[in-house]
Amino acid sequence: MIEDIISLTSNTLIYMVPLVLAGVGEIITERSGVVNIGLEGIFVLSSFTATIITFATGNPYLGLFSGVIIGLLAGVLHGFISVYLRGDQIIAGVGFNTLAYGISIMGLVTIWKQHGASPSVNKIPMISLRIRGGLTFTISPLSIVAILIAIGAWYWLFKTTSGLKLRACGEDPKSAEAMGVNVFRTRFYATVIGGILTGLGGAYLTVGWIGQFTRHISAGRGFIALANVAFSNWNPLMAIVGGMIFGFFDVLSIYLPIKIQLIYPEVKVTTLAYLFKTIPYIGTLAVVSLIIGRARVPRALGKPYIKE
Amino acid sequence: MGLVQSLIRFKERIRVKYEEYLVTTIEILVSAIIGFSIGALILYVLGFDPAKIYSILFTKGLSNPNYLLSKSTPIMLTGLAFAIPMLAGVFNIGGEGQLYIGALVSLVVVTSTHNPILGILSGMIAGAALGTFKAILKVYRGVNEVIAAIMLNWVMYFLTLYLLTEKLYNPKIPHESIPVPEDARLGKIPTPLGDIRLIFFIAVIASLIVYYILYYTNVGYLLRVAGLSPQTAKYAGFNPNIAVIYSMALGGAMAGLGGALLLIGYVYSIDTTMSTLYGLGFMGIGVALLGRNNPIGIIFSAIFFSMLIIGGEMIELLAGAPPELADTLTGVIVIALALPYTYRMLISYMRIRRMMKE
Repeated sequence: MIEDIISLTSNTLIYMVPLVLAGVGEIITERSGVVNIGLEGIFVLSSFTATIITFATGNPYLGLFSGVIIGLLAGVLHGFISVYLRGDQIIAGVGFNTLAYGISIMGLVTIWKQHGASPSVNKIPMISLRIRGGLTFTISPLSIVAILIAIGAWYWLFKTTSGLKLRACGEDPKSAEAMGVNVFRTRFYATVIGGILTGLGGAYLTVGWIGQFTRHISAGRGFIALANVAFSNWNPLMAIVGGMIFGFFDVLSIYLPIKIQLIYPEVKVTTLAYLFKTIPYIGTLAVVSLIIGRARVPRALGKPYIKE
Repeated sequence: MGLVQSLIRFKERIRVKYEEYLVTTIEILVSAIIGFSIGALILYVLGFDPAKIYSILFTKGLSNPNYLLSKSTPIMLTGLAFAIPMLAGVFNIGGEGQLYIGALVSLVVVTSTHNPILGILSGMIAGAALGTFKAILKVYRGVNEVIAAIMLNWVMYFLTLYLLTEKLYNPKIPHESIPVPEDARLGKIPTPLGDIRLIFFIAVIASLIVYYILYYTNVGYLLRVAGLSPQTAKYAGFNPNIAVIYSMALGGAMAGLGGALLLIGYVYSIDTTMSTLYGLGFMGIGVALLGRNNPIGIIFSAIFFSMLIIGGEMIELLAGAPPELADTLTGVIVIALALPYTYRMLISYMRIRRMMKE
């Protein structure tokens, strides 16, 4: 019993990392008035890049860094399109998701001649904490980093002048401009920061957690991170809670079939596992439809700013 | 009488909308050019010869009219599934899940009733039900339709996998579903281009009906007004929420039809890795955007994307290049299509320069 609780908790802390990182990044982006639904694409592309770099160098930290660079570049692209070219942010995001999937799978097939998954690569070691009774509590160092980043982002957005200016761009860009804020530049940088954090989360998927790139590595996590943004009411601290809830659903989808197999060895779990895999998606949808009613969206979200 | 009037109205519309059509044409062409250029760059980086790959893509992609048009059928319908809600201001990227459930339900119905029409209708109803569910979540619970759509896509993906491997598999060929009964399959009809699958013509007729509904009926008018300005719709006494629900139901029905037609008129069974279905819904987004959300444009756009898919398969066979080139090209084209403002600026810039010269 105690073992189960420990394993569920530690796995939740491991599974929540990409949801928290991308969620916090997207909160910063959306607070400035830009919506980027290309999180899924950034996850796929940065986890793929991290796999290549780690495969080539053997150093997972370099892989993590390369994922951050990919996120940065994706943020620059989306920021340029949304802010300076006044493009349709949703369509650009959908396009980026398709493009990132296409490039990554093309790369996977070309480099490793595999259609499903890459070879395994080195991972960032987990931290094991010894607790009483010979039990260990395992988490990733990135779990701590993600929580710290979320707290830092909260402080920045709500307790500093530059955070206030950023939020003003998302609420009322005309007034922000009148106050002397450069709306274009603020939105652009906010989108880039969002990309960087999402890139970090994507790289973590392979080098921090799974250890290899697979075709469905992200499996809708980018959109669960988006759901986390709405759930958290655009507050980075709540995004930690959201990440834990949505991460927990993900843990359950793996944990339950294993547990059932242990208790009822005669049940054919292999096909039944497909049903359990729907848990994170149904859970996310249920949480979002029960709670979001009261959420307050940044007023200028998704609307290009046009200078007069 | 009615026809003459429509023709006059059509000509008038072309005259008034000349500018609009010019911009649209430029958008489409520039997007395609950007798409193929960046695709060439990626191919080059990965170590392939872009000229060789593209020549295979175009020649092989267009060489077999029946194959081309058959493959265009499901994406034409998922294109409509995206375009109809888009005109009402709703973003339906759930065509993928709606196509799965359409195929799945029609498989169950057609194998038990041996009636293709019942199969197709049930597929449409299933797709429409899923679309309506998302619309209700959006209207009454304020759930973002993008999040709801992706969550339901994955639920449908795993649910379909479960049913295929556990309940609907073919005992003789375990990696395939039970097949559509011989007497319930839709076949081909002879045309000057050779024998063409019936499902293509059904999809074209569906596109024309959707065009008629959107531009010549009250429901279509309601949808378009609500899409352009929900505020105006309210002043005019329409309920924009109703428009959201209607458009999602109609869109879902189209994606469901796509799944049902693909199954009953083309593949006849689904493999248990779902490679026959995967990605067709997402491809529909590109189809709709390139067709500028116009049902007639979508017919041609679907054929263009069908060429990309077939070309992708062929380059894998002939040059060993990955078939996901089709996804990559689609992605770049869609991103380029997100930039109408840029093209408008480009046109006014060119116009000013021309005026300066004069």
